[in-house]
Amino acid sequence: MKIVVLVKYVPEPTATWKFAPDLTLDRGAVEGRLSELDEYAVEQAARLQEAGTASEVVFLTVGPAKAVDGLRKALAIGGDSAVHVTDAAMHGSDALATSLVLAKALEKTGFDLVLTGMASTDAEMSVVPSMVADRLGINQATFAGALSVEGGTVSIKRDSEGAVLEVSTALPAIVSITDTNPEARYPAFKAIMASKKKPVTTYSLADLGVDASSVGLAAAAVKVTSVTPTPARTAGTIVPDEGEGGAQLAEFLSSRGFV
Amino acid sequence: MQMVRFVLGLVMTVVCLGLAGRRLMFLYRLGRTGQPVEPGRTSDTGAAVRAELAEVAGQRKLLRWTVPGVAHFMVFWGFMVLLFTVVEAFGALVWPSFQIPVVGNWPWFGFVEDLFAIMCVLALAIFVVIRIKDAPKNLGRRSRFFGSHLGPAWFVLFMIFNVVWTLLAFRGASINAQEVGPSGKMRFLEGAFASQWFAKLFEPLGQHTNEILETVLLLLSLAVLLVFTVFVTYSKHLHIFLSIPNVAYARRPRALGGLLPVYSNGKKVDFEDPGDDDLMGVGKIEDFTWKGLLDFGTCTECGRCQSQCPAWNTGKPLSPKILMMTLRDHALAKAPYLLATKGEDGEPTTALTDADKAEAQRPLVGPEGDETASVDEHGARGVGAVPFDMLWSCTTCGACVEQCPVDIEHVDHIVDMRRHQVLMEAAFPEEAGVMLNNLEHAGDPWGRGASARMEWAAPLDFEVRQFGANGEETIPDDVEYLYWVGCAGALDDTAMRTARAVATLLHEAGVEFMVLGEAEACTGDPARRMGHEFLFQMLAMQNVETLNTAGAKRIVVTCAHCFNTLANEYPQVGGHYEVVHHTTLLARLVAEGKIAPVHRVDAATTYHDPCYLGRHNRIFTAPRELLAAIPGLRVTEMERTKEKSFCCGAGGARMWMDENLGTRINLNRTDEALGTKPDVVTAACPFCITMLSDGVSQRQLEGTAAETVQVADVAEILLRSVKPEDVPTPVS
Ligand SMILES: Cc1cc2nc3c(=O)[nH]c(=O)nc-3n(C[C@H](O)[C@H](O)[C@H](O)COP(=O)(O)OP(=O)(O)OC[C@H]3O[C@@H](n4cnc5c(N)ncnc54)[C@H](O)[C@@H]3O)c2cc1C
Ligand code: SF4
Ligand code: SF4
Repeated sequence: MKIVVLVKYVPEPTATWKFAPDLTLDRGAVEGRLSELDEYAVEQAARLQEAGTASEVVFLTVGPAKAVDGLRKALAIGGDSAVHVTDAAMHGSDALATSLVLAKALEKTGFDLVLTGMASTDAEMSVVPSMVADRLGINQATFAGALSVEGGTVSIKRDSEGAVLEVSTALPAIVSITDTNPEARYPAFKAIMASKKKPVTTYSLADLGVDASSVGLAAAAVKVTSVTPTPARTAGTIVPDEGEGGAQLAEFLSSRGFV
Repeated sequence: MQMVRFVLGLVMTVVCLGLAGRRLMFLYRLGRTGQPVEPGRTSDTGAAVRAELAEVAGQRKLLRWTVPGVAHFMVFWGFMVLLFTVVEAFGALVWPSFQIPVVGNWPWFGFVEDLFAIMCVLALAIFVVIRIKDAPKNLGRRSRFFGSHLGPAWFVLFMIFNVVWTLLAFRGASINAQEVGPSGKMRFLEGAFASQWFAKLFEPLGQHTNEILETVLLLLSLAVLLVFTVFVTYSKHLHIFLSIPNVAYARRPRALGGLLPVYSNGKKVDFEDPGDDDLMGVGKIEDFTWKGLLDFGTCTECGRCQSQCPAWNTGKPLSPKILMMTLRDHALAKAPYLLATKGEDGEPTTALTDADKAEAQRPLVGPEGDETASVDEHGARGVGAVPFDMLWSCTTCGACVEQCPVDIEHVDHIVDMRRHQVLMEAAFPEEAGVMLNNLEHAGDPWGRGASARMEWAAPLDFEVRQFGANGEETIPDDVEYLYWVGCAGALDDTAMRTARAVATLLHEAGVEFMVLGEAEACTGDPARRMGHEFLFQMLAMQNVETLNTAGAKRIVVTCAHCFNTLANEYPQVGGHYEVVHHTTLLARLVAEGKIAPVHRVDAATTYHDPCYLGRHNRIFTAPRELLAAIPGLRVTEMERTKEKSFCCGAGGARMWMDENLGTRINLNRTDEALGTKPDVVTAACPFCITMLSDGVSQRQLEGTAAETVQVADVAEILLRSVKPEDVPTPVS
């Protein structure tokens, strides 16, 4: 069984983000990393490979030149090779365009099972997996809290309010992995060095046969009109308990509409 | 009879020296299986000679413990002088009237020999008392001999006693048997008062019996000495030979402060482009350098290190002594494999026993959660030679290194083993992974990120100059110090108070300083102490580049760990700065009258020496000078202070690991501090402050500490005396 894991290279969540004049994130001005939420999918793939369930694991990203660092991080955790789709025309692409490119790339790599994160840590839309499934016309099982593969079937457990849903679907399929799965292992330096020797193939839009005009900022379905930074963290309110503490606390909560 | 005694003596000597020699040769070959040492260690002959004089001849470290120190001094010098009697005894074997040329016939010479022999016996008596009083049987884990080989230790004392009395008795019989020497009477024996006692005792037996007695006692004393020599080569008492090279080749000035970089085959490992076969720390016993193996062989099992170790004293499975013994045992057990001739494939060509094969396969460090692992009076047991929790219990406080009379480098060995565990196996207490990830991604252990690094300065009523804020490309000339705030100072609520206090005091004193703000990142200390050298190198190189580009020359720091890393470790990656700790700088400013502590601070206090400021960097006086300069402040020292300061529990990246074995280190120290009845407990490192604050809070919750007790940095107390209006009431 061949697994392809979709991994996104995101701006460092703790860093200060700066926006370019065209209101896209200035990726050059901020450190990037493999999305923490995608690390769960990477770990699952590595485990399936170690268990002998997967015969091949490939990591796939669509992102800027530096996104290869994210692929290297994934390769230090496990897997065999990686595919990096990068093209200047991708700048400012929305989820629709991203899913289009991912689908095309998946057609090229081939797969039995596609694993993804539950959401990216930057835009957090959680839509890409479904969009890719739709474009490829394959089954999807999203927000898997646990997963197993047997024969040609993938089964997941999804935690929903008050119940755990068990969903099974036939391969080929796409499954998004939540953060209730085991955390990614901490790669040893040895594994990091070994990951540098694993092959990474780079594709442009032309290599995938994607028309550059269907992606990028101009083609985006939603336009960003302005960007305002969130206000800085304030000190908060301390309620000293001098007999009235409980009442004051309730008042505070109700004044903010929490109760 | 002369012939018989010569032949017998010769046979004994040849057999015993042969046995001892064979053993020493084996040990030498085993030592040679180790890695080469780093460059420069063996080249400073001057330093080696000075160390031998101070530590071996002068017994400097031993004398820090007065009673056992003096006793050991007496035995050591007693044996040195006894060597002359041994020469005389061997001489007498060949030539009955032998004496050492020139001085050998002077009565004072005989007197000195006997004096030292008697000193030896007195010292033995002291050792016997100590061993009975401090026996593990009575004190349990609190005994420094807990876990040492007790039987052999008693045997050694017994044998030393035998060596002394047989030599004296032989000399006594000689006095009676021997009337005339080659240059007349053997006058030296006139001064030999103790030998005279034996002479008196034997005199009634008559000349003839004394002649026989002389031969018998000579052979007996040689036999005792030779058997003792053979025994020594098989025991912990090897230190009488090995401590000499071990002290000569020790890391100077001491194996504390900065850590050594990772070396493989004597060469520094380049983490940007490591060689395929490069060793990343120590993963097998033979990955230690020969000096490491020498350390293990030299350990005398005296337990001085164990008595001070915070891990051991709080019931954790780590004693630096037992660690050294364990590594020695493992090296010896693995010796058949290590010394076997190996074929092309690196496998031994000779057959090994199953036990030997098993030991060869045994991992150096055991796995996490090993049920079979234990560390007790029988030493360390488990799947690996060193149990996982033994390795990770260390706070790298350096108390062991400080104490060790034979200059063993425990911390370096522990970190080297951690390096392999982290870099090659990714095996470490899981919870520390959060800190490592945060360092990698956010540049600080809490994961707050660079953007939060100036929050600490917001409440100040003056502007803190931030490098680059006005487009500076290098630090302007009017800036005297670059103020390295550190992750804790910038991001931890309590440490921010110190950061602000120091900034305010510098501002008051008119010292121009600048901070790096967002450009500052963790120095890498916790990563390095955990063994993650790669991450340390990344952070260090990044910071050094920032500092060098900014042209930083003088740096003031508030964190003892930052201080140690910047001052002692950044030179390894091309960062050379004059680094001062805030207590040193503030003490200087007070002395120069630039800071005037004029307001009374009516409080009782005690000062906790942070390991990385005190023991590791010898800064003991500056913080005390500051406290002494504050009017009204009453300082009471704790029992364990300065070089013997007890760790707060945060070092060695333990700050970021769970402490669920034994009791808590910070509580142990807090209780000692509370014992001085303080209003405020002071320290000079943000991590110590955190640990002690936690300790005091817990004791307050339990009702055993007064609600009013505070924990604060020395600088904050100083600020109370300089500008009381600027000090916020601390929330506890
Ligand atoms: C500053 C900024 C501006 C934006 N502007 C627009 C805009 O103008 N219009 C618009 O429609 N969208 C915009 N976006 C959304 C952006 O294009 C989406 O981030 C992207 O298309 C994927 O959606 P997502 O990040 O929400 O992924 P999610 O749907 O949350 O991702 C789920 C999973 O899909 C996979 N995945 C997602 N992206 C990739 C990828 N690139 N490579 C490989 N795998 C991937 C990962 O496994 C991930 O865990 C903007 C985002 C940002 C941060
Ligand atoms: S450094 Fe400190 S904690 Fe570690 S072994 Fe030595 S004394 Fe114990
Ligand atoms: S390591 Fe040093 S201090 Fe500790 S027991 Fe051995 S000789 Fe003594």
